[in-house]
Amino acid sequence: MLLAFGNFTADPSVNLQLLIGGLALGAIYAVVALGFVLVYKSTDVLNLAHGEFLMLGAYFALTFLISENLNFFLGVLVLLLVMLVFGLLVHYGIMRRMVGQGFFAIVLITLGIATIIRALLLIFYGPTERARLDLLPQGSFEVGGATVRHVDLIIFAVVAGCVLLFFLFFKYTRLGLHMRAVADDIEAAAAMGIDPDKVYAMTWAAAMVMAGVGGLLFGHVTGAIDRSIEAIGLRAFPAAVVGGLTSLGGSIVGGLVVGVIEQFANGHLGTKWREPVAFSVMFVVLLVRPTGLWGRKDLERV
Amino acid sequence: MTATENPPAQQTAQTYRPSTLQRFLPFIIAAVVPFILGSTTGDLNFWWKAVITVVVLVVVARLAWKWTPRGELTHREDMRLWRTPSDRSWAALTMFGLLVLPFILASDFTPPMGFPWATWFAVVNLVLIFAMGAAAFNLLVGYSGQISLAHVAFLALGSIVGGVVGVQWSGGNMWYALPAAALAGAVVGAISGLPALRLKHLYLLLATFGFHFVMMLVWREYLQEYFGFVGIRFKGENSPRIASWLHWLPGIDPDQNGEFVITGQFRWYWVLMPITVLSILFMVNVVRTREGRAFAAVRDRDVSASLLGINVARSKLFAFALSSAIVSMSGVLASFYIGSRGEDSFNVQTVLNYAIIIVVGGFSSIQGAIFGSAFFWFLPEWFKWAREELWFVRDIDFLSDYPSEIDLAIKGFLVVIILMFKPDGLAGMWRDFKNWLGRTLARSNP
Repeated sequence: MLLAFGNFTADPSVNLQLLIGGLALGAIYAVVALGFVLVYKSTDVLNLAHGEFLMLGAYFALTFLISENLNFFLGVLVLLLVMLVFGLLVHYGIMRRMVGQGFFAIVLITLGIATIIRALLLIFYGPTERARLDLLPQGSFEVGGATVRHVDLIIFAVVAGCVLLFFLFFKYTRLGLHMRAVADDIEAAAAMGIDPDKVYAMTWAAAMVMAGVGGLLFGHVTGAIDRSIEAIGLRAFPAAVVGGLTSLGGSIVGGLVVGVIEQFANGHLGTKWREPVAFSVMFVVLLVRPTGLWGRKDLERV
Repeated sequence: MTATENPPAQQTAQTYRPSTLQRFLPFIIAAVVPFILGSTTGDLNFWWKAVITVVVLVVVARLAWKWTPRGELTHREDMRLWRTPSDRSWAALTMFGLLVLPFILASDFTPPMGFPWATWFAVVNLVLIFAMGAAAFNLLVGYSGQISLAHVAFLALGSIVGGVVGVQWSGGNMWYALPAAALAGAVVGAISGLPALRLKHLYLLLATFGFHFVMMLVWREYLQEYFGFVGIRFKGENSPRIASWLHWLPGIDPDQNGEFVITGQFRWYWVLMPITVLSILFMVNVVRTREGRAFAAVRDRDVSASLLGINVARSKLFAFALSSAIVSMSGVLASFYIGSRGEDSFNVQTVLNYAIIIVVGGFSSIQGAIFGSAFFWFLPEWFKWAREELWFVRDIDFLSDYPSEIDLAIKGFLVVIILMFKPDGLAGMWRDFKNWLGRTLARSNP
């Protein structure tokens, strides 16, 4: 990275453009990372299927908003409700039985869910790629020689709103309190009369709804909607790790940091360096501070 | 397959010792008969050979069972890899089966209902390559407990070494590339294992996944530097060659110029099968040694293991190096067998495929890796056959419209179902079957 910054001579407007592009990308990463964090925080499951959940959201958005041509707000409502039902389905159908299983077995079962979703989407939607969504305002404006798209600002606002909403939810509602209690110590929480099963179901539903929001937003900025957009799930890992896998606010900061770093690597080193640089940053953060910037530290008893 | 999984030796009143000849005779029969059957041409037709095969199978299994040391065992006898009658019997059967299989598949037999016999040979060879890689993956992830997703990175490393040593330096000499890949895999594997000294579980998984992406960058750079978009070709003038001493094998005719090029499924089988069997036996034996037991101790609780005097750092790095070396070798084999490797040969789906193999076969069992890869490669063949030939499946348009997608969906559902209801996978089912068989046999002739 130092090398990269050492030899760039580009004019400031290019760097400003890269910075803005990085923040826009980072906002998307933050949406995805928020989904990871929600699930990991309360159920201790690393959900490798989140990229597929997001793809599901994008395709459903396509169905409800474009094919069925519903009113925007009604369509979004239907989308989120359907995603909520799917989240409950994932919990009551599959993940409920996996509570208490080994860590890697649960990771593998999320990979299995990812495979199923990918195959079913291929069967029902086919391999042809669709044009990206165009329901949010499409314009852009100039700031100091750099272009800022309206969509990016909206994504940014939605992410910030979601984080704030979840923060208030965890802090002030009864269900949020239950979620925090279960995340802290599931046995003690169960002894206090909290039903962990319900809390887990709500968590999966919330993560799925976040994936629906993410799919709707990502559907506006991706090149085209096809089965390759699931990769966003994996590419958002560095963001989640840098921010700390148990911190809601961390996911937004991590997303922005990783997004900007990736865009600068993209601009100054070339496209192929994007993923390696992002994952190297993650690697360094893991080695220096495994819990991320704001993660919860655990003590281990022997 | 480990020594601890075997049932304790039966303490019968009578001590029985077979002679040395008796101990080895079933295995000698199992080794010799396939070649006799394979070299007789013309005078024996397929069905006679089939009858002889079945008879020899039964005889070999029975003799290996009968001529097993019983009663008070010495320490040496107790430590043998195949100790119980059941172990010895299955070992002899497997040996016979592996040796007779290529001759059966190479025969021009056409089974009824268009059963896809002819395509089986390619599938069997792929199963051999994948079983080797998956078993090494299982040794690392299942047995040593070091969660790693960098598996495919080492397949790519194997392809790079195969490209440099096998193609660029020696023009298709796989025999230099294999040890070179093992060496490179061990060194790079130990480096990729360094995060394991500090990280565990989730964080180790993420760190190794980062390594995957770095390796993919190296792979793409290497391809673009030397080979361009077509990728590396491991066939044609780069086909692997071998010294012509294998000519004595029946069914293999020497090439014109005395050179022996490995092409065609039959020849590949005789290259792949010994390498896979030896490397799997090697892993099964490593698990039984002091180092192997240290792997398990570190997996269960590394702090306690260090209190027992195990060098935890060394043990972890050794597990990574060993597994990566074997995976890199399987990467070389796969490159030369498949014939070309391009930019998109390795992706996240490949990681997923190995995960499917391991889950379906049975987590943390080397046997499971073999079952899993066999299942993974045979399922599409059988599914294709069922779509084309079976009358009650053929009429369902839905199935023939989306063959590969439904294949993928079946695999995904299987992973979920097996993890939910049968976490031991196919290896666990096989164990249950053997137990059931043993109980039934014991009941029928006590």
